[in-house]
Amino acid sequence: MTILIVEDEEKTADYLRKGLQEAGYPVQVASTGHEGRQLIAKEHYELVVLDVMLPGVDGWELLRLLRRSSGTPVMFLTARDAIEDRVKGLELGADDYLVKPFSYAEFLARVRTLLRRGGVRESERLQVADLELDLLRRRVTRAGERIDLTNKEFALLHLLLGREGEVLSRTTIASQVWQMNFDSDTNVVDVAIRRLRAKIDDPHPVKLIHTVRGVGYVLEARA
Amino acid sequence: MRRWPRSLSQRLALMFALGSAVLLGAICIFLYGSLAREIAWRDDQALAGRIERMRALIDESADLETLRRRPRLYDNMLGNRDSLLWILDDAGQVRIAVGPSGFNAPQLPPSDGRIALRTIEGRPALRLAWTRVAGADGHLTLIAGRLLAEREQMLAAYRLRLGLALAAGAVLAYLLGLAIAVRGLRPVRDLAGRAAAIDVRHLSQRLDTAGSLRELDALRDALNGMLARLEAGFAQLARFSEDLAHEMRTPLNNLMGQTQQALSRARSDEDYQNLLVSNQEEYERLARMIDSMLFLARTEQTAAALVRVPVALQELGDQLCEYFEGLAEERGMRLLNTASGTLAADRELLRRALANLLANALRYGEPGTTITLSSAVTASGIEIAVHNLGPAIGAEHLPHLFERFYRCDPSRQGAGESGGLGLAIVRSIMQLHGGEVRAESGAEGTRFVLIFPPDTKFVVDSS
Repeated sequence: MTILIVEDEEKTADYLRKGLQEAGYPVQVASTGHEGRQLIAKEHYELVVLDVMLPGVDGWELLRLLRRSSGTPVMFLTARDAIEDRVKGLELGADDYLVKPFSYAEFLARVRTLLRRGGVRESERLQVADLELDLLRRRVTRAGERIDLTNKEFALLHLLLGREGEVLSRTTIASQVWQMNFDSDTNVVDVAIRRLRAKIDDPHPVKLIHTVRGVGYVLEARA
Repeated sequence: MRRWPRSLSQRLALMFALGSAVLLGAICIFLYGSLAREIAWRDDQALAGRIERMRALIDESADLETLRRRPRLYDNMLGNRDSLLWILDDAGQVRIAVGPSGFNAPQLPPSDGRIALRTIEGRPALRLAWTRVAGADGHLTLIAGRLLAEREQMLAAYRLRLGLALAAGAVLAYLLGLAIAVRGLRPVRDLAGRAAAIDVRHLSQRLDTAGSLRELDALRDALNGMLARLEAGFAQLARFSEDLAHEMRTPLNNLMGQTQQALSRARSDEDYQNLLVSNQEEYERLARMIDSMLFLARTEQTAAALVRVPVALQELGDQLCEYFEGLAEERGMRLLNTASGTLAADRELLRRALANLLANALRYGEPGTTITLSSAVTASGIEIAVHNLGPAIGAEHLPHLFERFYRCDPSRQGAGESGGLGLAIVRSIMQLHGGEVRAESGAEGTRFVLIFPPDTKFVVDSS
């Protein structure tokens, strides 16, 4: 499950490598296009994270090269979010893209999605500890007790449960639950989480929804 | 088709030359025609005169023999080699023939006593005059002729001279026209020179009206208009960069200050964590600012990228109310959506505009009041309004609310604020839709109205 990062900006490469390693993925880093090309030719990777602006061989070139030989998922990173750039990347066969600056939580979530793609089918019943969500009957119980949620609270809980253990940024949550696809500076998400906690966590000694300061929220059973 | 020359003065000179050539040609043709007719008339007169003189001679002479014996007389009278003379009797016998040899007396219809004229085509061509007179021994036919070759030669030489004169005239007209055009177009070159002298540092300069020509006024006005727009755009850009730099200073200052302060001595893990979280907030603020700036730059730069779809306003309003519901409840406020109808608009952009207005209303509204989202069709177009109760915005601020980074209260600046770009984005979105946004504020609360032009497709809900 090795991930290759091709990125010439040292700091970026460094924190991406650290982050992915901490998340349990083996990582290799190439700091130039040439190095990246050699590694791609030699090894097999589960995922390639590609900066578009590279000295020497640029990201587009590497992407073309990759697409010629394999179906390895590619995520490209760019500081220029002109629409033509995104279109170009996706046309060349990239699976996803992120525009700098991006949130780290967002990056990790997308990496997981790409590695999971074509994998597990989403189940109709989700469970973490004693919290259960039944998608078909739209029912939520904790410790066997039924909990009434509004539509959006249900959607929010579904998102957190479905991505158990992943830290979700406020932007991701706003976009997934309310289709607000732009960064908003309101604390709407915090308020919604607070209300959801009041129903899910507050009556119980074991808390499931956790705040990751400065990043977002995660639902998981912590020992 | 041959292309016209790229130079305006050459083009004008060429047209001038063509015009002159046509005019001169017409004059030449007229003059030549008159001359040719005049010469022919004179020749005819001369022929007729000769016949008359012959008739007088015959009248004076006893018979033809007497006449024939005085050949010198005709020689003198005829005088040159172009002239011919025949005297025929009624039987058609040539009695007297004078002139260059090799010509036979032509067959001519009988004359009724007056002098008849005719041109005999052929080589060489002849002009003849004849009449019938009573002589001593019966009737005689007098024929005087003239070879046309010399006349033709003369006219041909004249035509050639006319043609040369015409060509020379056209060339002269071209040169003259070129000189006039070059001279006449000097004001255009002067205007271009003055326009070229205006560079980035002198955008406030305008092309002066003094001494300018009426024909160039439109051009000059257009250039001045363009300069005015450029200057305004440039000033806006400069102000914008300056604003941006200023706005970035605050978060950067926080980042640098608190990081340096934290690093000045060893601290607990929790302190470091707090620092990083605080830094993260500032980073996000910077990232949002850059995002918004880019959004504004793009929407202002092109009128493209609008994806118009039918947007059900009630549904969109409900979604937005749902989104802001929690926040509103925390502030003891209520959201009421009365918008209805279906509007052709870019759904994402409209959502963003309304979200910004609602966030604004929640931020500044009086706790315990209701925020209303409504729609209406008026004379000025289709309106979507967000209304909240709360302290009125000063009238002096209203015209500036939609400017980037504008703040009613310069001292109020917090991380939770929209960074002063929220309303600018709303305005920009409305400009993309060909509409506008207006703000009204008074004792009965504050109202922001999105106004879509009347020709925007809008369907009123049926129920």
